[in-house]
Formats: sequence, C-alpha cells, structure tokens
Amino acid sequence: MVQYNFKKITVVPNGKDFIDIILSRTQRQTPTVVHKGYAISRLRQFYMRKVKYTQQNFHEKLSTISDEFPCLDDIQSILWNLISKIAKDYVKLLKYGDLLCRCKSLKVAALGRMCTVIKRIGPSLAYLEQIRQHMARLPSIDPNTRTMLICGYPNVGKSSFMNKITRADVDVQPYAFTTKSLFVGHTDYKYLRYQVIDTPGILDRPFEDRNIIEMCSITALAHLRAAVLFFLDISGSCGYSISQQAALFHSIKSLFMNKPLIIVCNKTDLQPLDGISEADRKLVMEMKGEAMKTVIGVLLIMSTVTEDGVIAVKNAACERLLNQRVELKMKSKKINDCLNRFCVALPKPRDQKERPACIPQAVLETKAKQAAEKEKRKTEKDLEDENGGAGVYSASLRKNYILSNNEWKEDIMPEILDGHNVYDFIDPDILLRLEELEHEEELSPEEQEALAEIRKKKSLLIQQHRMKKSTAESWPVVPKKFDMDRKFLTERMGRQLSCLGLDPSLAINRARNKSRGRKRERSVDRRVGDDGDAMDIDDNQASKKFRLRSTSRSRSRSRPPSEVVPGEGLKDSAQKVKTIKLAKKSVLKRNKNARRGEADRVIPTLKPKHLFSGKRSIGKTQRQ
Amino acid sequence: MRLEKCWFCSSTVYPGHGIQFVRNDAKIFRFCRSKCHKNFKMKRNPRKVKWTKAYRRLHGKDMTQDSTFEFERKRNRPERYDRNLAENTLKAIKKIDKIRSDRASDHIKNRLKTGKVQRQKEARKQLEQGIHLVKAPLALAQDSSLCLPKIKVNVSQAQIEENQPMEE
Repeated sequence: MVQYNFKKITVVPNGKDFIDIILSRTQRQTPTVVHKGYAISRLRQFYMRKVKYTQQNFHEKLSTISDEFPCLDDIQSILWNLISKIAKDYVKLLKYGDLLCRCKSLKVAALGRMCTVIKRIGPSLAYLEQIRQHMARLPSIDPNTRTMLICGYPNVGKSSFMNKITRADVDVQPYAFTTKSLFVGHTDYKYLRYQVIDTPGILDRPFEDRNIIEMCSITALAHLRAAVLFFLDISGSCGYSISQQAALFHSIKSLFMNKPLIIVCNKTDLQPLDGISEADRKLVMEMKGEAMKTVIGVLLIMSTVTEDGVIAVKNAACERLLNQRVELKMKSKKINDCLNRFCVALPKPRDQKERPACIPQAVLETKAKQAAEKEKRKTEKDLEDENGGAGVYSASLRKNYILSNNEWKEDIMPEILDGHNVYDFIDPDILLRLEELEHEEELSPEEQEALAEIRKKKSLLIQQHRMKKSTAESWPVVPKKFDMDRKFLTERMGRQLSCLGLDPSLAINRARNKSRGRKRERSVDRRVGDDGDAMDIDDNQASKKFRLRSTSRSRSRSRPPSEVVPGEGLKDSAQKVKTIKLAKKSVLKRNKNARRGEADRVIPTLKPKHLFSGKRSIGKTQRQ
Repeated sequence: MRLEKCWFCSSTVYPGHGIQFVRNDAKIFRFCRSKCHKNFKMKRNPRKVKWTKAYRRLHGKDMTQDSTFEFERKRNRPERYDRNLAENTLKAIKKIDKIRSDRASDHIKNRLKTGKVQRQKEARKQLEQGIHLVKAPLALAQDSSLCLPKIKVNVSQAQIEENQPMEE
C-alpha cells in the first residue's frame, strides 16, 4: 500500500491559473519565431509542436494531481481522453494546412478548446484544492505501526493521559469536547516507537445520532488496528456516572474485537477504587469480565494528577500490543522469509555441569556494604535540612581541616597586626631568627665585662709587642734557654691556665715528665732561697741526688734529628726528615747570599762602581 | 584581606581606603589617597618628591638595609595552621617592630649627629673668635671667665631730677 504523505501534495491550481500556467509554459519552451517565407513543412511542424506540447503538459499536470491524491484515477482518465482527442484532431488538420495564417488559426483553436475543457472543470479543481488543504492539516497517522487508541466519555482524562506519556501538548479544559479531532503523539517502549491517538469523547447515543466529532473516534476505532485504552472516570467528576460509562462500553464493545483492551480507571486521587458504591463496583467488575473475555484484557487504576500508575498503564498497553503483533507475525506466512534470517547462537553444552557466573565473595560483600553505606551516610544536605534549611544553617567549612591538633580547627587567626600583614611574617623558625636579631643588638653586662677583659689583655699584648718592636734592633737578646725573665716556669703556666679556666695539673705533670735534665747552676739557683748552706758537701751530695731525682725524672740524652717529638705535628720520622730537608733547602740560597732572613732585601751598594763604569763591547752605555 | 603599600608614598593602605589603578599591561598601582593618585596622574616621579618614602630611602634619609626587613616578606605558599607558630609570630612581630623602629631612629640620630657636632664646633669657634664683640680684650684679660660685663652708667643727680617726669 502506497504511503500517502498528505502534507506533500502539490497545490492544485484553480481553472484560470491552470490555463495560464500551461499556456505560458508552451510559449516559453517552444520556439516562437516563425516567418511566412518558411517551407510549409516547417510551418506545419512548428504549429503541431505547439499543440502537442500543450497536450503533453496538460496530461502531466493532471496525472501528478491524480497520483498524489488518494483516489482520483477515473476522473483523470476522462479528462485525459478529452484533451488527447482534441489534440489528435487538430494535429490531423494541421498536416494539411497550406498557409501560415491557416496553421496559426488551427493552433489557436486547438489550444482554445483544450482550455475550455479545463475551464469547465474549474470548480472541481477548487474543490480538490480545498480537500488538499484539509488533508494537509490532518495528523499523519501510520495505520500499520503500533498504535494505541484512547477512548471514553468526554472529560475523563484522555488528553491529560496523552500529555503525560507523550510530548503532545493537547488542550485540557473542564468543558466537554475540548478535543475536537484526533491528536497523535509518540512514545517509546522497549526501544520501539508507539503512536498514541487521542480521540474526542464519545457519548452514549444511537449510531445515527452521532455528530461529526464523535464519528471521528468511532471511525478510528473501527479502522485502526490498535490497542484500545477505555477510560473510566471513577469519581464521576466528568459529569457522567459510572453506569452511563458502563453503558457506553457495552454499546461499543463490538468495535474492540481482536484488539488488546485495557480498562483504565482514572481520577483515583479523588475517589479510590475501593470506595465506590456496591452497584458501581458490580458494573466495573462486569466490564472487567468482558475485557478478560477478549484477547487479552485487564483493569488498571491510575491518576494523571498524582502520576500514580500512569507508567504502569502505558507499559501494560504497550506490552500487550507488542505481544499480539508478534504472535500475528509468527502465524503469518511472511515469517518464513524472515525466520531463516534469525539465529540465536548458544554454545553447545559440553556436559551437564552448571557453570554460574563467578563473583568473588569479597566483591559481593563490598557491594552490599556500599549499598548500606549509601543509605546510612549522612550528607551535608541532610545536615543542612535538619538545622533549619538553607538560610538558617551555614555549613562549617573548617570541619575537615587537617591540623596537628584538632582543637585548633575553630581558631581565628588575626590577619593584621600593628599595620603589618601577619601572613608575611609566618616562618617555622621565626623564633630562631628573632634570637639572632636580638644578638645583633646590645651586649649583655657579662658580655661587656668579658669584652673589657679581652680588650685589656689585648692592649697589654700590643704594648709588649710595641716595646719589643721598637727596641728590636738595639735590645740585647738573651737566649731563651737562660730564662732571665722567669717566664718558663711550670707554676707560671699553671697560673695562666687556671686564669683561663683549665685544670693545669695534667699539663704540669706532663711538662715535668718530658723535660730534659737541668744544668747544675740552675738547680743551685733554685735552692738559694731555702737555706744558706748550699755548699755543705754532704748536704750537697744528698740534695743533688734528691734534686736530680725529683726535678728531672728522665735521663738527659740528645735526640737524633729524625726523631718525631709528639707535639710537633709530624706523622713519622720520614716526614720529619723531609721537612728538615725542605727547610734547609729554602734557607740555603739566602744564606749563600749572606741574607739575615726572608725579609732582608738590603742592597749594600745601589750603584756598584764596577757595573756602572767602563766601555761596552756591544750596546750603549745608557743601557747596561 | 591584606594591607597594601601605596605605590607613590609607600604608606599602608587599609581596606576601604584609596584607589587601585590597573594598567593595560596588568600592572596594579595602589594609592592611599587622592593626593598620591593625583601626583601619579601628573606623571611625577616619587623618587623626586620630597615627602615620599622612596625619596627618603634613595637619599639616605631613612634606613635602607637591615636584617629586620627580611622578616616581612610576601610568601606565596600557604602554611598549615599551627597555633604555637601563630602565637610566636604575633609576639615576634611586636619585638621586631620595636627593634626596627629603634634602629631607624638610631640611623636618623647618627645622620643628624654629624650636623650637631659640626654646629657645636662652629659654636665653639665662634665663641672663641667673636668674644671680642661683646667683651673687650682688656676685660677678658682681667676676668677670663665668659661672664658678660654688666652695663654701668654713671648718672649725675641733676639728670635724675630731669628724667623723673619721663620715667613716669
């Protein structure tokens, strides 16, 4: 069956326009220039062409109209016959035309007669145009696809239901016959598209008394192969009682043959199904019984206002329709063509062992736990709602801070202090640096004392050095070993060390151990203070022995030059030998030049005569 | 909330004061009051305008380099809050402030000391040299202290009687 798209029918022009179109086309598309001096055959051909062309055009246009309109075949053929007859006649006459003017008048007559024919059917064309306009406005219903039809009394809630399940925006008003024609919407179920057709309300009247609007729905019911949803208003707010609606049902139940029927009890928010009276309930049960007897029928309750059960009704209707259609398809002959194209492949079972999906226990447990947690966990939004809503409660943003000590979470830190930004000063070791800073400042009294002592001592050293320096050349130097100043005494060392804060006893002992034997004069000097008889022989000997033993505890012996004395800072004798050698080497040159030391750069004679006199063998005397 | 420095005079701009100007190259100029803003619009160089900190630092009137300036540095990495650290910081700020202001005043005093010393020297010299303007060398020889001689005028009896009506 050809698919008609009513919106795409071309405009049918009215009589006059039709003629104008055809004639102007003829004038444009055929050659226009002809002279009477041409060959007669050429003249004849010229005019025949025009006539034929016009005939063809008429034919074309009429056939397009009849093709596009659903059932217009016979009218079109009649017309076509008429026009072709005219054309044929005049072509025949034109074959024997001898003059230009004769051919021309023949052509004019032919075209004139064709146009008259069209003029006569002018009103029919106008009527066709009107039909076309009306048909274009009709909703495009595909009669073959899955369709659901909604019917019932006026004001039961058909259009509201339609609005709920599809995107159609049907007018919903409290007065009856708000919906005056069919409305089509589309909805999806199981990835398939379903057409939902909303019909105007039907009243319970004999067939002949029905008005055009009601006939719409009746016709739709009769001709469309669709699932039927019969709407019942339980609460009676549509203005009609349940008995009236039941009566309607019974009168049109003949139209529900072989169609999946669902009786929908709407407006349960106003009146629940259990609350209706006994008589009404009986009627409803009766209807339900009827529904069960048909192919597949069921009774459902819903309310479009609360959206309770709307989806259930839609799903039930779609399911039933689908099943019915599938069944029918399976039974028809065409299925055999398709059947060999389907193949569901299942692996061949090797043995009878059952192999269910393997999910590790841990995963199942975590899944269960997660589900439980999701329900139990309190979100911030819940907290907000509990504590008074959005305007009243302000969430504590510091709750989740990570700090070393949780007591500090609510601390407010000042940002500004005394004209400084506190953040600029923050430093983990600020205390250390502050200490250093304070050190830079004034010294404490002890520090000042110590500083004074240091300065005193330093000045003393400087004074001594200055004295030495100034008298360096002229002061007679006694070799250190005679110790005229009595500087190298262990007691003196001990006193100095104890002034510095050290314990001198160890040092004194060591010095005494390592010291060499002393000369007799020295030891004599020491004993002068004790008693006057130093020259007593016995005393002398005994004392000498005692002295020797007491004052020098080690035998005097000379040291070889390569012996390393601890305290010198040399590793071993080899190193010492090397250092001695280096020292001697550095001194040799100077000694040979009779220099007193490193700093002696004296030139005894700046201009020795023997170098500045005499003649030159080569060169000038200016430069020598 | 931050305390900013005025671009012109380097004083602190507290929140709610002053104007910020953002140039097309995204450089931000903050001013503490309209005086600085107007000077900026006149294209004056703060280094040449006597009362600004920039001038004073450039010409050595105020302390430029000091270790106390190292403490106040804009840090870009946020530190985790630590109450002890915050306490210490607040206490330290006060101490650092005191040290810094002491040093600054010392700096100024030192700077002015040379002037003072010079003035003192000048004064002494002037005293020495110009004493003859107020005390005759003869008087100086007799009495070497610096007490200025009193004005002694011998007035006769007759003149006193004549001057009495005038003294009224």
